[in-house]
Amino acid sequence: MPMSYESQEDLVLIIDDEETIRDGCRQVLEKSGYDVITTGDGSEGIRIAREQKPNLVFVDLNLPGMSGLEVIDILLADIPHIVLVVITGYASIVSAVESMKRGAYDYLPKPFTPDQLRAVTKRGLDHHALIIEAERLRAAQEEMARDFITFVSHEMRSPLMTVQQSLESLRVVAGDCLSDEANQIIERCEKRIRNLEDLVEHWLNIRQIEEGTLIRDKGILNIADILLHSMEDMAPLCEKRGIVLKSDIPEDLPAITGDRESLVRVFVNIIGNATKYTPAGGTISIRARHDDYHVHVAISDTGRGIPKDKIPFIFEPFYRVKERGEHIEGSGLGLTFCKRIMDAHAGKIEVSSEEGRGTTFNLRFPR
Amino acid sequence: MAEKRKILLIDDDRDFLMATKLILEKNGYEVLTAENGKAGVDAIRSASPDLAIVDMMMETWGEGFSVISEVRAMEGGKDLPLIILSGVDLQGPYQSFEPSEQFPRVDLILHKPVKADDLIKHVKALLG
Ligand SMILES: Nc1ncnc2c1ncn2[C@@H]1O[C@H](COP(=O)(O)OP(=O)(O)O)[C@@H](O)[C@H]1O
Repeated sequence: MPMSYESQEDLVLIIDDEETIRDGCRQVLEKSGYDVITTGDGSEGIRIAREQKPNLVFVDLNLPGMSGLEVIDILLADIPHIVLVVITGYASIVSAVESMKRGAYDYLPKPFTPDQLRAVTKRGLDHHALIIEAERLRAAQEEMARDFITFVSHEMRSPLMTVQQSLESLRVVAGDCLSDEANQIIERCEKRIRNLEDLVEHWLNIRQIEEGTLIRDKGILNIADILLHSMEDMAPLCEKRGIVLKSDIPEDLPAITGDRESLVRVFVNIIGNATKYTPAGGTISIRARHDDYHVHVAISDTGRGIPKDKIPFIFEPFYRVKERGEHIEGSGLGLTFCKRIMDAHAGKIEVSSEEGRGTTFNLRFPR
Repeated sequence: MAEKRKILLIDDDRDFLMATKLILEKNGYEVLTAENGKAGVDAIRSASPDLAIVDMMMETWGEGFSVISEVRAMEGGKDLPLIILSGVDLQGPYQSFEPSEQFPRVDLILHKPVKADDLIKHVKALLG
């Protein structure tokens, strides 16, 4: 449950070295029903603000010791949703503008009347309430999106798994009674269900990345390790398709930071694509190297390539280059997924390709 | 002929339950089913199966988890062979294959859908 802000008195902090101003403001604002704390000292003000989390702070720009601008910077960085109003002693527009640039919400030039003070205070607190409300809405939306994903993942995957298990049991129950034709029908069903499963999986993963729930635990990773692991996963498929899988991965690659599981999936996806679009007899090669700032991985194939005019779109969701009459399975989400994962690693993924000759995916990770 | 070994399946998806049941029956096992955690625990008490296969994704994974905790705590439940059959969403203590020690032990984790050959192989191994 979000904290209820309505029930809480609005707390206003006033940081000004002039005692008359402090006392005057306190009187006016307390009469209007606000809780008020005052101090004449910048660092004391910061300490109070950290502890009491006021909704609104008035900061005199002309403080002894610490500058008002410094106080503003620290408060804005430390206390989420805080609203700041600067009090400018020498009717100086320049300093007011500077503070607003840094994130102050409003300013109040001295001398000011009680009415002006009340108006600015009300405006500031309304603004604060608005920020809180927006924050609450955002959190609620996020929660809804998360629930939706859980819902979809259960409601879509469960039936898929059940259909797969039922086909499996059909085989077992029928035993030798099934004709070759009947077996082929089952296989076709299984293949299409697997595709649908992949699509759901990819789509969910992308939603999870968008929400930041997928790549949460980053660790120090040995990229050579991950590449070898991904290659092991894909070796049987390459063999089946008559494609040579080779690699040139130096042993002294520096470590990167990231999520192992999702990076394996990135490489498996890219190698998987290469197997789909490379005819038998072709080669997939994986190379890694590093420079002072990055670790680079290149995954090349000798396949059919991607037409130049299609290259800009291949990372877009659901985009697929389809040739007439061909039946290569895919969701069009694989590369979208890879791109999002790379973004989440502050990395880069780029493609270069020549039709009829092959394709290379270049991936770059910060080290 | 020796008596059939008894396997209890706990899963809230009736069709999935049926599919798995058929695979096991065809391979000579007697199969009991329960469609929720509580019925599952009751069945373990009353019918004393030789093995239980528990779906972790009933409503929340929590339900599968409480079934396992309860079975491990009950008399004679400490050594009952337990297989988790998880949907893809496996979360919580069994997310990794070696849950830390404070969680009740399971003998095996399998993922849905499970190949008939795999399932039978593991069941055989666990039932000795
Ligand atoms: N190695 C490759 N060689 C040729 N074309 C490729 C390769 N990798 C990706 N593509 C093209 O990019 C498109 C998008 O890829 P992707 O997002 O993984 O979806 P798909 O599921 O269709 O493979 C593919 O449909 C394919 O046309």
